[in-house]
Amino acid sequence: MDTVGSRRRRALSYAVRYALLGISAVLLSYPFLYMVSTSFKTRSLVLGDPMQLIPEEPTLDNYIRVLATENFGRYFLNSAIVAVVSTVLIVLLASMMAYGFTRLQFPGRRILFALVVIGLTIPTMMLIIPQFLLARDLGLLNSLHGLVPFYVGTALGFNTFLLSGFFQGIPKELDEAMIIDGAGPWRRYWSLALPLSKPALGTCVIFAFLGTWDEFAWALTVLNDVDQRTLPIAIALFHGQHSTSWGLVFAASLLAIVPVLIVYIVFQRFFVAGLASGAIKS
Amino acid sequence: MTAPTGTPSAALVSANPRRRRSTAVAGDGRRGAFAGLAFVLPGFAVYALVMLYPAVQTFLLSLRDWKITPGAESPWVGLDNYVKAFGDPKFLDSLVNAVVYTAVTVPLQIAIGLFLAVLLDSKLPGRVAFRVLFYLPVVTSWVVVSLLFQFMFSSGDGPANFIAVDVLHLADENIGWFRERWTSFIAICALGVWKGIGWAMLIFLAALTAVPKELHEAAALDGAGVLNRFRFVSVPAIRGALSVVFILLLIGGFNVFISVLLMTGGAHDTQVPLTYMYDQAFKFLEFGYGSAVSFSLTAIVLAVAALQYWWTRRRMAD
Amino acid sequence: MKTIKHLASVAALGVAAVALAGCTGGAAAGSSAIGEPGATDISGTVTFWHAFGSDSSEVKTLDEILIPRFEEEFPDVDVKAVPVPYDELHQKLITAVAGDQLPDLVRADIIWVPQLADLGVLEPLSASMPDFDDIADAVFPGPLATNLWQGEYYGLPLGTNTRVTMYNDAVFAAAGVDVPATFEELAEIAPALKAAGAYAFADNGASGWNVLPWIWSAGGDIVNDDVTKASGYLNSAESVAGIQTLVDLYTDGHLPPIILGDAGGMSTSDGLAQGAYATIYDGPWMYPIFAGQYPDFVLNDAPVIAGDGGSISVVGGEDIVLTRSSENKAAAAEFLRFLLSEEAQLEMAKVGQMPVRTDLRDGLTAINPYYAQFVDQLANARPRPATPAWPQIDALIQDEIRAAIRGDKTVQEALDAAAEQADALLAQYN
Repeated sequence: MDTVGSRRRRALSYAVRYALLGISAVLLSYPFLYMVSTSFKTRSLVLGDPMQLIPEEPTLDNYIRVLATENFGRYFLNSAIVAVVSTVLIVLLASMMAYGFTRLQFPGRRILFALVVIGLTIPTMMLIIPQFLLARDLGLLNSLHGLVPFYVGTALGFNTFLLSGFFQGIPKELDEAMIIDGAGPWRRYWSLALPLSKPALGTCVIFAFLGTWDEFAWALTVLNDVDQRTLPIAIALFHGQHSTSWGLVFAASLLAIVPVLIVYIVFQRFFVAGLASGAIKS
Repeated sequence: MTAPTGTPSAALVSANPRRRRSTAVAGDGRRGAFAGLAFVLPGFAVYALVMLYPAVQTFLLSLRDWKITPGAESPWVGLDNYVKAFGDPKFLDSLVNAVVYTAVTVPLQIAIGLFLAVLLDSKLPGRVAFRVLFYLPVVTSWVVVSLLFQFMFSSGDGPANFIAVDVLHLADENIGWFRERWTSFIAICALGVWKGIGWAMLIFLAALTAVPKELHEAAALDGAGVLNRFRFVSVPAIRGALSVVFILLLIGGFNVFISVLLMTGGAHDTQVPLTYMYDQAFKFLEFGYGSAVSFSLTAIVLAVAALQYWWTRRRMAD
Repeated sequence: MKTIKHLASVAALGVAAVALAGCTGGAAAGSSAIGEPGATDISGTVTFWHAFGSDSSEVKTLDEILIPRFEEEFPDVDVKAVPVPYDELHQKLITAVAGDQLPDLVRADIIWVPQLADLGVLEPLSASMPDFDDIADAVFPGPLATNLWQGEYYGLPLGTNTRVTMYNDAVFAAAGVDVPATFEELAEIAPALKAAGAYAFADNGASGWNVLPWIWSAGGDIVNDDVTKASGYLNSAESVAGIQTLVDLYTDGHLPPIILGDAGGMSTSDGLAQGAYATIYDGPWMYPIFAGQYPDFVLNDAPVIAGDGGSISVVGGEDIVLTRSSENKAAAAEFLRFLLSEEAQLEMAKVGQMPVRTDLRDGLTAINPYYAQFVDQLANARPRPATPAWPQIDALIQDEIRAAIRGDKTVQEALDAAAEQADALLAQYN
């Protein structure tokens, strides 16, 4: 029944929602807008008036300088390769582990899961020297492919934990139905759990990509060869010892954010209600 | 987290009473065990190699007065470093700071993140744009946002002072935010919450959209309004996500590092355990002690997380 | 000799001990020795870590002028310059030490050299470099002394700088007073400056770099010549007097609170240019920075404010060090010599890196007129104490002095406490 009252109530609820969303959006995106604004300014050793978002003399100078910096494109590519490979591996291995932990029985299941959770509490900063020695002993120093095992290993705990939480929400009856049909665990994983968890997997992809794309401390520690380096190092090098041209740093940072946003926009499409319901019907 | 009765999946359950089990879906004996290990071991092997093995080494390192030069003698000191840590007022102060930071930022990130996720979990036109805007803080680098927040919490006429003095009349004159411990933490917490909202929102959004539409429709047919639908359909469904987010934010709060390092560098007693560890290890080359500090923190975080986990499990069982 | 620790009874611990403390080879076994200068048969790769930012004039000079010129002269040598962000360079060095992955050469901040030398990873150039004495005689003694550790020199200075007084002419004109030359004059004119709306002096911290000019100019010191004791020096009457000047300025409202640390406060450079601060202490890099950011502001400089000990400032800069683990010491040493040559030092002088060669001193003002004040100040500027404990001593000096400024303790109490703690730290190395 669509009375005048309910239509008005709906319009009001929309209005309220948009107002709240709008205010939140302004608050959350404001510093970002300030970054964009400063990246178009020339004299940026000092940050200017925060209220003044439109620069007086906008210029593309910072962007030109960043793009012309030697090897910038190379660093971009390096980061992309490492991030893509790592993300694929992280999502694959984490989802397999989460499925194994929540859906299958095997000896040591609880202990291994507990170890995964315990690992979440360990700050990676303090592991840096043993990890460095390990990388050296495995011959993984100073190479892009050497980064991947470390990025994957350090991200697995978080993503497995996240996915376990989601997998637990899938009704077990669905699994059982497939077992009756004679489906083995791999098929159940691939055709049931994964499709039903698209929102969770999408989240993992987003986080895994962001984490590896942005990672700085480890990359800086192990990479020396200039042509092996990743983007965050390149951005950090725009900082001088005594002064920093912020417009330059912001311009570089903004260029670096673009792939992350693209991944986000692509994968947030999975956050569509009703995806789960379709699977249950079939 | 099983589906309520009256849904298609419930019908399936009643049709096969023999299969109703409360443990994980069983494999068949040894083959099932093999499958389980095959799923878990590849990832776990990488994880163990890269995280657990170095963690064990770091722990062993904390039992020595470790010298970094290869081949140098690192005398065994046993638990001395730990005794020193718990008697160290600077470390204890840093723990207090971490607790305060966590207590302030975690509820705020959860509340606001959930609120935004709920607002965006619908066919609202333009929602993609909003989702992107809310995610922007998460992707902006810490260096950049710390700088901007220092700027916003300027001791002169910055936005924070504008709000505090002119709008809210909390103070008569401009506040020197970074000149004191707790006002510095207001800025640091603001930064933490601001940067984390989008992250929490993302996870909640994923959880909310995993709720089948039928459940909402069924509840609406039963006459439930928006709030009741939220309470009885959405909340139970995201309880798992809530628990996950809470634990992860809790851990993240205690392990806060980069924002404090960049905002204050630990000045005015704003050290947190990890910045303290970093100074000890990398500036003063006291790696044994620094590792002990980290492990003490880890132990405390584990205890808190375990407590929380046990407590929510008890509540869920009721 | 350092030995690998004897395997303990618990096997797991033994494995870990070996994993952590075991040599993986190549640690102290640098293969080639440093030869005579100008040897023509050197070859190989030389890795050189530095902290010049990208898009900076320094890195352009290094990569486009200096390295090519060196490689022209020594075609079989390949110099690999690796830029590392300054804020992370020390950490990366420490990790490299632990993993035995140091490069051949490092352009290190002078305050890191004693720590690195004490770790045993640096080549003692005074012992292994045949022409060391010749080069040492050609550079300023202050910067050279930053490489001294337990009787040997573990590096050579590469670039130097110091702090001088920088002031805002307009503020002084408005206040109707002259730029102060002594502690007394500073105290006298401060009220007039305050009336004109400016703090008499501003600094953003209380660590050695900030307060040493005040201590030394007052006639005080930090440690004795052997760097074994701080008591009697750090807390001497003269040192106390130097710090007391700062404390008095603060209590009378002539020193802004940023000295206590204030990430949201107005920086010294902004404050000077905008007239909020009348004087600051800073280094030669500020000239290009002010020119870029505040082109309308005329920057003036003067010697640091003098006390009973004269006008004495603190030396900053970088040293170049050669690592013991380097496998190509001959070539690395040759590049080191090149960087200290007249030609290389002049090129770097053009982009703001003040040279360490004494014979270039007179020609500097022709390159950058603003160098004049710094050259004069460098004549008697002193380096910070060369001890591996310096980072810790620096931190506790800052803590204690800040407590004195806040009024939590008297200056004497603060410096007494600092001296006591410093003694304990210094004792570890003697």
